[in-house]
Amino acid sequence: MTRHITETDVRAAGPFAKVDMPADIARMKASLLKDIRRSAYVYRVDCGGCNACEIEIFASITPVFDAERFGIKVVASPRHADILLFTGAVTRAMRMPAMRAYEAAPDPKIVVSYGACGVSGGIFHDLYCTWGGTDKIVPVDVYIPGCPPTPAATVYGFAVALGLLGQKLKAETHVQADGERVPLAHPSIPYDLRVHIEREARRMAGYRQGGDIAERFLVMLEQPGIVPLTDRLAKFVAAEQDPRTAEILARLGEVVTGAIA
Amino acid sequence: MHAPLTKPDTTRIGSATIAELRRKLPHAVLDESWQTPTQATITVKLDDLPNVVSTLYHEHDGWLSVMAGNDERSINGNFALYYALSMEGAEKSFIVVRAEVPAATEEFPSVTPLVPAAVWHEREVRDMFGLRPVGLPDERRLVLPDDWPEHLHPLRKDAMDYRLRPEPTGDDETYRFVNDAESETTVVPLGPLHITSDEPGHFRLFVDGEDIIDADYRMFYVHRGMEKVAETRMGYNEVTFLADRVCGICGYAHSVAYTTSIENALGVQVPERAQAIRAILLETERMHSHLLNLGLACHFVGFDTGFMQFFRVREKAMTLAELLTGSRKTYALNLIGGVRRDILGEQKAETLRIVSELREEVTRLVEMLLATPNLEGRVKGVGLLDPQIAREYSPVGPCVRGSGHKRDTRVDHPFAGYGRTTFPVHTGEGCDVLSRTLVRVGEFFDSLSIIEQILADAPGGPVLTEDFTYRPHKFALGFTEAPRGEDVHWSMTGDNQKLFRWRCRASTYANWPVLRWMLRGNTVSDAPLIVASIDPCYSCTDRVTVVDVKKAVSKTVPYKEMERYCRERTNSPLK
Repeated sequence: MTRHITETDVRAAGPFAKVDMPADIARMKASLLKDIRRSAYVYRVDCGGCNACEIEIFASITPVFDAERFGIKVVASPRHADILLFTGAVTRAMRMPAMRAYEAAPDPKIVVSYGACGVSGGIFHDLYCTWGGTDKIVPVDVYIPGCPPTPAATVYGFAVALGLLGQKLKAETHVQADGERVPLAHPSIPYDLRVHIEREARRMAGYRQGGDIAERFLVMLEQPGIVPLTDRLAKFVAAEQDPRTAEILARLGEVVTGAIA
Repeated sequence: MHAPLTKPDTTRIGSATIAELRRKLPHAVLDESWQTPTQATITVKLDDLPNVVSTLYHEHDGWLSVMAGNDERSINGNFALYYALSMEGAEKSFIVVRAEVPAATEEFPSVTPLVPAAVWHEREVRDMFGLRPVGLPDERRLVLPDDWPEHLHPLRKDAMDYRLRPEPTGDDETYRFVNDAESETTVVPLGPLHITSDEPGHFRLFVDGEDIIDADYRMFYVHRGMEKVAETRMGYNEVTFLADRVCGICGYAHSVAYTTSIENALGVQVPERAQAIRAILLETERMHSHLLNLGLACHFVGFDTGFMQFFRVREKAMTLAELLTGSRKTYALNLIGGVRRDILGEQKAETLRIVSELREEVTRLVEMLLATPNLEGRVKGVGLLDPQIAREYSPVGPCVRGSGHKRDTRVDHPFAGYGRTTFPVHTGEGCDVLSRTLVRVGEFFDSLSIIEQILADAPGGPVLTEDFTYRPHKFALGFTEAPRGEDVHWSMTGDNQKLFRWRCRASTYANWPVLRWMLRGNTVSDAPLIVASIDPCYSCTDRVTVVDVKKAVSKTVPYKEMERYCRERTNSPLK
C-alpha cells in the first residue's frame, strides 16, 4: 500500500513553528548590539549537522583565525548567550532540544543560521527526518552560507551579526543586446576535435586542471606557422618542466595525431 | 561428513572458508556468488542464519562489519538481510551472509544472542524495515526519533515518499535508558547539546558517588534520512557528494567507500593514478582528524596550551586539503570510476613541503604532550576496553587497536592506493585512553610517510575512467579505513539510474556499543575524556542533570562545570 504524498504531508514545518516575539524587538536588538559590540557571547546549537560546520567554528576560535580577538567567545550555556548559532538542517529529534535552547537564551537574542544546512536545509532540504533549516523553527537574523563556511567567512558573518559590517549583497542583471553572441572558443579548430581534446584532458587531469591544460594546448595548436605538426607537438611537450603536465600534453598530442591519421 | 558442494577455488580468497562452512553446516548454504575475488555472498536458510554468522565470526576470525536490510519484494518477493563479515584469519576477505525474510511473516531469528556485535544493526533494521528480530531482547528504537509514528518504516519501498513528514507524535523524549546496576545509583544525564564540538547525543551515567556503575546513551539525534534520499532523489554520482556529508570530519572516507562499493559491484577498473590520489587524500583527512583528537585529549586533561597548539598546527593539514581539493572540508572529489582533480608538479612540491613542516612541528608537540606529567596520570588505566569485549562487539580503528587487536582495513583488505605502500599497524596493549592516543600519534606519522611514498612513485595515466555501464541489481561492499576506523558501505544498483539500496556504516557506529563497558568502573570526571578517546565525531557534553536516587533530589550542573571538573578534578559538582 503506497501512501501518496499530499501538500499537508510535505510541509515546510509544522504548526509548532510559533515563537513569541516582543513588539519592539527591533529596538531591543539594536540596543543589545550597542552593548555587546566588543564582547559577544555565542552559544552553538547543533540541530543535526554533519560536524563540518562545528569543526570550522572550532577552527575559527583557535589561534590561526582567533575570533576571540574581536571579543567573540563561545560559551557553555544558552543562558549566557547573546548570539545563538544554529547549524544543521534541524532533524526531527533535535527540534525540541533546539527550541529549549532558544527559549533558554535571554531576550533579545541574535540568531545566526550557519552553513548550507542551517540556511536552507542544504542537500537535506526535503528529507523526511529534517525540517529544512533554522528559519523553519526560529526567526533568523543573519545567514552564514557555505558547506561548510570557511573560518574567514565565519569571522565575517559574526561581524555582520554584530553590526560591524553590512551583509554583502550584489545583484547584476545582464540583458542580451541586439546581435550579442557568445564568441565560439577556438573557432579554427574543428569542434569535434576540440571536444575530444577537452574530454581527454578531463580524464587525465580532472575538470579544473584538465581545463587549464586543454586551453594551453588549444592556444598552441592555433598558432600559425609552417613547422610540421609532430615537430611542434614534440617541442611543446619538451618545453614543459613538470613531468606530469608533460605526460598529459603528450597524451593530448596523441589525440590530435590519432584524429588526423 | 558431506563433501563440499563446490571445489575450493584458489583464485578466490575466502573459498576455503566457505567450503569449511559447508562441511560444518551441510544444508545451510543455498547459493554462493562472488562480487570480487575477495568478496563472496552466500545465501543461507533463514533458520540457519544465526549459526552461520556465529560460525564465521567465532571459528574463522570474522568481525561483523555491517548488516544491511533490503526490500527486495519487487525483485524476488522477499526482504533480504546481508550480514557482512570481515574475515581476518588465514584468508583475508569479505563474506556476506544473505538470508531472505518472507514478506508474509516479516520475522527473522536474531543473531545478537550469538554475536552481540549485531545488536545495533538488528535494531536499525526493525526501525527502517519493520522486520522483527525474534530473540532480540532490546526492543527500543535506535534510529528513528521518539516523535516518529509507529508502523511507518521509511526504507520500505512502498511505505512513503522520501519527503513525507508525519506530524510529530509528541514533544517529549520517551527513550528508556538501561541500567544494569544492582544497587541504587545516581543518574547523570549528559546532552544532547554539547558545547565544545560536534554531534548531539544523550548520555545517562548511573553513578554511585563518583564511580560510574553503568551507562546508556541515545544517539541518532542527527538521523536525516540519507539512505532514503540516495535511492530516490539522486543519481550514482550525486551520492558521492552526499556521502561526503555523512560526516564532516571523515566525509571523504565515506565518499571513497561508496564509490568503491559501486565500482566493485560493476567490476569497474579504476585507474591507478586515481587510486593513488584517493589514498593521499584519505591520509590528509586522517592527519587533520588525529590532530583534532590529540588537541581534544589535551583539552580534557586540562592542558589547554597543547589544545591550542595542536589546533594551530592542524591548520597546515587543512591548507594541504585546500591545496589538493579546493576545499578545506567536503572535498567533493570522487566520481564513480575516478577522481575530479589531478596532483600536478606544483602541488606535489607544495605537498611535500607541508608534510615536512607537519612532521617537524608535530614531533615537537607530541614530545611536549608526553612530557607533561599530568597526562599520564589522567589517561593511563582509564577507560579500559577489555580485548574480549572488543572481540564480541567488533569495534574498529584506534579504539580496537588500542586493545591489542591488529585490525586495519588498509592492511587487511588493501583498497585505493594502499597496495603500493608499506606501513606498520600500530597497536597498544594498555587497552586504555593512553594506548588509543599513542596509536593515533603513530598513525599520524604513518600518514606523512604514506603521502611521501605515494608521491615518490605515483603512477601515470588518466584519473578517470568512463568505460563502463550501469547494470541493475548488482551489489557489493566498499570499505575504507577512516581516521576512526573502518567505514563500510553496501550498495545495490537499481534499474532507473539510481541506487536500489545504499547502506552506510560509519566507523563510530561500530564503536558506540563498547563505550558502555569503557565507562563502567571509572569516575564521573573521566567520562568526557573516555568518550573523546573513541573520537566519536563528538567529544563532550552540554550539561549534566544529577539525579540522586538515594536522596530523591535532582540537580542540574552546567556542562562547563562538568568539563572544569574533568580538567581540574577538584570541588566535585555532585556534592
